[in-house]
Amino acid sequence: MERDRFLTRVGQATLSSVLPAPPRVAPGLPELADIDLIALFRTRAHEVNAVIHGPVSRHGVPRAVVGIAAGHEASNFLAWDHLPAPGVSSALQSAGLDRLDHEIGGGSPRLERNLSYLGLDVGVTGTTAGLAESGSVVLVHGSGRPRMASIAPEVHIALLDVATISRTLAHWAHENPRFAADTTNLVLVTGPSRTGDIEQQLNLGVHGPRHVHVVMIR
Amino acid sequence: MSEPVTFLSRAEALIGSHEAQAVESGIRNFLVRREHAFDVFPIGEELRDRTRAIRLHALANLDRLLGHFADKLGEAGGQVHWAADAVEARQIAADILKRSDAKLVVKSKSMVSEEIEINEHLEEEGMTVLETDLGEFIVQLAGDTPSHIIAPVMHMTAQDVGRLFAEKLGVPYTDDPYELNRIAREHLRESFLRADAGISGVNLAVAESGSVILVTNEGNGRYTTTAPRVHIALMGMERIVSRWEDASVVLETLARSATGQHQSVYTNVITGPRKETDPDGPDELHVIVIDNGRSDILGGDTAEILACIRCGACLNACPVFRTAGGHAYGTVYSGPVGSIVTPGLYGMEPWWELPYASTLCGACEEVCPVRIQIPKMLLQLREKAAAEGRLPAWLERGISRYGRTVSDPQKWASAKKWASRLSAPISSDGWIGRLPGPGRGWTQSRDLRRPAKESFNEWWRKNRGT
Amino acid sequence: MEGPQVQLFVTCLVDSLAPEVGRATLSALEKAGCTVEFPVEQGCCGQPAFNVGLVDDARTMAAHTLDVLDETEGPVVVPSGSCAAMIAHHYSALFVGSRREEQATRVANRVWELTQFLVDDLDSSLSASCGGCKVAYHYSCHGLRELGLDHQADRLLSDTDRTELAGDKECCGFGGLFSVEMPAVSTAIMDAKLDRIVASGADTLVAGDVSCLMHMEGGLRRRGSEITVRHIAELLGDPQ
Repeated sequence: MERDRFLTRVGQATLSSVLPAPPRVAPGLPELADIDLIALFRTRAHEVNAVIHGPVSRHGVPRAVVGIAAGHEASNFLAWDHLPAPGVSSALQSAGLDRLDHEIGGGSPRLERNLSYLGLDVGVTGTTAGLAESGSVVLVHGSGRPRMASIAPEVHIALLDVATISRTLAHWAHENPRFAADTTNLVLVTGPSRTGDIEQQLNLGVHGPRHVHVVMIR
Repeated sequence: MSEPVTFLSRAEALIGSHEAQAVESGIRNFLVRREHAFDVFPIGEELRDRTRAIRLHALANLDRLLGHFADKLGEAGGQVHWAADAVEARQIAADILKRSDAKLVVKSKSMVSEEIEINEHLEEEGMTVLETDLGEFIVQLAGDTPSHIIAPVMHMTAQDVGRLFAEKLGVPYTDDPYELNRIAREHLRESFLRADAGISGVNLAVAESGSVILVTNEGNGRYTTTAPRVHIALMGMERIVSRWEDASVVLETLARSATGQHQSVYTNVITGPRKETDPDGPDELHVIVIDNGRSDILGGDTAEILACIRCGACLNACPVFRTAGGHAYGTVYSGPVGSIVTPGLYGMEPWWELPYASTLCGACEEVCPVRIQIPKMLLQLREKAAAEGRLPAWLERGISRYGRTVSDPQKWASAKKWASRLSAPISSDGWIGRLPGPGRGWTQSRDLRRPAKESFNEWWRKNRGT
Repeated sequence: MEGPQVQLFVTCLVDSLAPEVGRATLSALEKAGCTVEFPVEQGCCGQPAFNVGLVDDARTMAAHTLDVLDETEGPVVVPSGSCAAMIAHHYSALFVGSRREEQATRVANRVWELTQFLVDDLDSSLSASCGGCKVAYHYSCHGLRELGLDHQADRLLSDTDRTELAGDKECCGFGGLFSVEMPAVSTAIMDAKLDRIVASGADTLVAGDVSCLMHMEGGLRRRGSEITVRHIAELLGDPQ
């Protein structure tokens, strides 16, 4: 059906509908008392089975990441080009891990590049923010920041600047109202992939990463 | 042997079954986890009012929001298609997939995709469609249908799944849920990466930016909307809010109400296909906006049901759902919300019965995060069914006679005396063990109090009357 | 002590099937200091018809109820949450836009459920007793969710030996005509409820609605159970 006809039908329906009046709510969000956001983030992230490291200084990040990768006996990784701390990718390569390519084109058709992720051990990403109430990190994708880095690997390592931790998603969105509009793809990651579909028993690592490590940076 | 065709006959077949017991125990787990989910959140109770305000506002301005959504998505490089009904929606999806020469299609969970029955259609067109949500994957493998909006295989045990995987995937039998998950992960991994197209639902669309939001826990939603070249998002037209800030409030509510989590594992906000400079993501994003009867609901008495955010809380709270399970409803949308949506989308024939599959206890409205007045709408649909003459004759006549009798003091007094006299021969010790006709429904499992020899009214007149 | 004069609306079920509950309600109100009137022409609030969608029949019964109660003054006390809610909340919708609209509102504003009246209005010190019995209390759905009834019964029962009843705010499965229209489902919900009542170790089941009670009592009898079933009025009033 063409757009105009479709929307006209909807418009007519709203005219004859008996929707109740919406409740009155105060604009904005209620003020919350100040709390230790880092401590809350740590607690909630732990509850969803993410592993929290640090806070470390920017210079300490490469060593922390190499340590995590070694702990999982990783042999390869996929990393964002622009990370909140320098030297991470080179440190991983020095430690003997292969760095996978992520660019579409440049000689690597989609299928070939996709299949190269089959044995992907580690993905390293930055973050734009942390959300304390849920222990979530916000990833904004774009040039040099592939989505696959947090989808395909067994282990996802996310680098989080503690100054960017907000209380809740609603509060963060309130402070950053343009975020959806200005990005192609944004994801909140709240711990490792999980399912309770079989007998409501929680299990991790269904399709997405089995392990999520958040390295906090001060 | 013919299929049972009423809620009651389906329920009778399911009650006490292995499936029903699995559902009941599954729900108890949900309820425990959900119990404090809102208390813990700093603006918990207020969240429900905010969510209701956002959703009602969106419905009242639906045409405007949808138009804005389409404009913005177009600016971001996405394509919007408008499907008046299920047939159109299937056709549009099939055409998109044929144009891009898609053979293997991966799907992440979408109620609306089941509503329009897209899988069968695409398979007729020669494509392979793979469900990738663990529960939906299991259901597809078993040739079954989901029994709960949030937990599709609530009706199966781990042993059931283990047997299924051993038979259909040729793997050694195991009933360890962790191992079963890993088997599914390995089996589906390559399919994600090889697929030509991914189909998803839309949990929430955002008008101001043209974004679609997908909420999942497993990660298959991200795979299906990132790895293949084409992403088709099927959107029930009412699943929209005005602004990103509004969406964030609804997202706070959704995970908490559905499963007691603070957030789902993956909340994906997608605004168009990949840009030239994006290293990955689909080249094409198509959103198919689907009406399929929603504008009829919107224009009628039960418009409020469209505010539903599909959290499943009403299902878990409903004693009828807990007892009979989702399959008793015989349709995609079950439980209290399904009892209103289904007759709205598909008409009163034969779905008039669903609003009667309720004790009107009100637990659904009590838990609904959008404060939807479910019992009120169930009563409205019952009034409609009665006006259409769908009630059995014995009930209509019986109630009519009762109404006239009880509203006439002399007739009422006389009727009570008669009832007491008539019940004497079939009572023992003040109780009736067996009634004929419709009364059999009562006495098959309960005794019935016998009408008193002396009513309260009579006693009052004798002892207190002036 | 001169208390208020109240009108007793016993409900059709109490009148015809459980008159002892009516007498107990009368006694409880008198013990709490009230003078009780009983408009003898009363019948049914119309809920059985309303709940199945037969609104014209519901209006017939509701109109009669309104006329009977409108001839009187003072609070109208009802020993049933569902009937009280029917009059207090649903009558206005039944008669909206009709000549009875104002009457419906007027009468609705006078209606109280029994425990609500005793606790919230009279702040009575009346206390339930049952000679040392162990009480399991079931919160009937309409009273609980439409009228917000819970703390009232809790207070009235505070001197009794109350057992913990799992799922005490969950439906018993009666649902009006649902009990005979969908008997297998009604029975299954009832069975789950009765299992929990038995498991609570109570010897007495108490609730505020005869509809729920006769359904659960009927099921308990069928099981051969020795559990006594009482309306809360019977623990408040003296036997007459």
